[in-house]
Amino acid sequence: MSNNDSIEANDEDTRIEIVFFKSDTCAFCPRAEEVLLETIGDFEENTFRLETINVSKNPEKGEEYGVFALPTIMIGGVSVTGIPEPGMIFKMILGAKARQRRGAK
Amino acid sequence: MSDDYSIERVKTGIPGLDELIEGGFPLGDTILIAGKAGTGKSILANQFLYRGAIEYSEPGVLVTLEESPEKIKRNMMRFGMDFGKLEEEGMLAIVDLSPSKEATPVSIGEYPSFDLSGLEAIILNHVKRMKAKRVVIDTLSIMAYKFKSRDILREEFFKLTANITRSGCTLLLTSEIPAQNDGLGVFDIEAFLASGVIVLYNEKISETTRSRSVEVLKLRGSKHSSRIHSMRITDEGIRVWPGEISPGV
Ligand SMILES: Nc1ncnc2c1ncn2[C@@H]1O[C@H](COP(=O)(O)OP(=O)(O)OP(=O)(O)O)[C@@H](O)[C@H]1O
Ligand SMILES: [Mg+2]
Repeated sequence: MSNNDSIEANDEDTRIEIVFFKSDTCAFCPRAEEVLLETIGDFEENTFRLETINVSKNPEKGEEYGVFALPTIMIGGVSVTGIPEPGMIFKMILGAKARQRRGAK
Repeated sequence: MSDDYSIERVKTGIPGLDELIEGGFPLGDTILIAGKAGTGKSILANQFLYRGAIEYSEPGVLVTLEESPEKIKRNMMRFGMDFGKLEEEGMLAIVDLSPSKEATPVSIGEYPSFDLSGLEAIILNHVKRMKAKRVVIDTLSIMAYKFKSRDILREEFFKLTANITRSGCTLLLTSEIPAQNDGLGVFDIEAFLASGVIVLYNEKISETTRSRSVEVLKLRGSKHSSRIHSMRITDEGIRVWPGEISPGV
């Protein structure tokens, strides 16, 4: 991602937060990650802030979020578990955008 | 069987119960505590951890999938069991995976392609850190409401229990028996998942009274009592009367 932040009116981060939860042993995680990256690749750069949490390496983080079934993708406070259909990710992104717009007023 | 002698026992911490099961739970086994709502499953499991820490210096890990840690501490304090203090002393870790947690996302979808490797990593992290000897998961049943894919849960729970007990811990799982149900829980595999099964009852014996009791349904390598024994919840927690056969059930 580029650091082309200059067009933003304030320094508030308006990017949509995505957290991808995986583990070292999870057989379905690589495919879920692919689907996620492909889907968000269709959006403009800098639309998202993507964080990946490997629960094997960072169990405290998984515990903090209460996420223990893997893979899980969290977008703006809602989540989906298992290998998602791209349409589902799309819906979650639109939902997060809508909530963000409402919240921004 | 001659190798019965070699089974090491873990004291249950429930007065009267050890006498029914040749001295305690077999070390490193998975024990299912099944019963309908309000029969005392959580109190029994928590008391197992508390007494284990206080009397036998065995650190414990309590994985709560349903009640918040605050509520558990409040409940157990009524029996004089100070879980906050155990935590401070490094004898207990409460792993909060209850739905009430603020940071927990709202699940809006599930595909039948996931595992519980995250749960295992979270639990084993505490087991190693604490050098825990006792682990409780309260309650298994809530997983059936959280996830649709029962087949995955069944398989994953077999793996999970094996990997927890392999670390040398004795594991207690609680399972709620739905009101109109003859089995031991919502998954139909509860009995196979565990090498020991304890069932708690609180049956109506007349229009105005109920009677609590406990039954040891199975226990690996143990000549356990096959009767249903009286049990009470007192100000000091759960107590079993080994000599008293329950009038109910
Ligand atoms: N101080 C006390 N003295 C006697 N009984 C008590 C006391 N405190 C709680 N109880 C009883 O304990 C029972 C609840 O125990 P517990 O929470 O362990 O049940 P449970 O089997 O885990 O229930 P659930 O399936 O709802 O989780 C209630 O029936 C309550 O009446
Ligand atoms: Mg309970």
